Amino acid sequence: MTSSEVAARKVLRYPHPSLKQRCEPIPPGDELDRVASDLLDTMRSFPGCVGLAAPQIDELVRVVVVDVSEHKKATASHGLLVLANPVVVETSGDELGREGCLSIPDLTANVRRATWIRVEALVPDGENVAIETGGFEARALLHELDHLDGILFLDRIASRADLFARKRYA
Amino acid sequence: MRSFVLTATGRDRPGIVAAVTRVLLDLGVNIEDAEMAILRGHFAIVLILSAPDELDEAQLREKLQAVGRELPLEAVTLSAVEQLAGGSPEPTHAISVYGADRPGIVHGVAEALARHEVNVVDLSTRIVGDDPIYVMLLEVALPPSLDDAALDELLARVGQELGVDVSARVLDRDVL
Repeated sequence: MTSSEVAARKVLRYPHPSLKQRCEPIPPGDELDRVASDLLDTMRSFPGCVGLAAPQIDELVRVVVVDVSEHKKATASHGLLVLANPVVVETSGDELGREGCLSIPDLTANVRRATWIRVEALVPDGENVAIETGGFEARALLHELDHLDGILFLDRIASRADLFARKRYA
Repeated sequence: MRSFVLTATGRDRPGIVAAVTRVLLDLGVNIEDAEMAILRGHFAIVLILSAPDELDEAQLREKLQAVGRELPLEAVTLSAVEQLAGGSPEPTHAISVYGADRPGIVHGVAEALARHEVNVVDLSTRIVGDDPIYVMLLEVALPPSLDDAALDELLARVGQELGVDVSARVLDRDVL
């Protein structure tokens, strides 16, 4: 680790209103660097967490971090992705897959997502990038990008058979 | 042929379906459509039955009550019903409703849908978490008089009134 200071932030839980807001675009600069760094530290503080979006730490700007490289379901991986103002420009295919969310810790659901996507975004150093990916990494990106528009996975469930309570009865 | 609706509820345990259906089989009663659910450890089943005209209905009732006592079940009901042509209406939209738990979510949404002749085809709810979140999922069939935009508008209004988040999407039926 090269970062001098780790700043894991509190992850908001639904029904916190910030989770249902449309977030604002953000230009390159200090604020983007700070949000990106906090998001990354927060994601890393949850073992197994593969993505986080800025509104989840109460920053209403369009920034997500995704890293599926350690996940067993990942078939494609770009390693750590820190993306600002990401836009899905092309998709194809669709499949059901199980999703959970740190902001709704007691439920998981089968959600239909594209199997291949092309996303355009800004990276913190100011460069514009285009990422093409599929499978689990595409799913993780689509899930995080939804957060930027206040959309939670509960808004994408097609049928009651697709919703599951996480086992946490104790 | 005669038709019946049978319902049974009780604390969940292995063997309920087996015991109830044994009675039906012994008396030559056919199970047409059936659905069961377990909610917080309570079992519920609804079956549509068809039986030959010569069925001894009193005997069927008696045997079901006996099974109900043995298992035991909380309740077993048997009602003679009309045989209805056609199945359930085909759902057109899925709706998610979720929010901090409070009284009146189900009623508020159902009432608004009913007022616009929207038929609820499927409904289930879950309450989870230490600060409870209530989640309701519905499948509904829209009447021809209501389009997608009108449904969205109606749901947005209900969501605002109830302080819950509501979203709907068109059900895509996979066609092979």
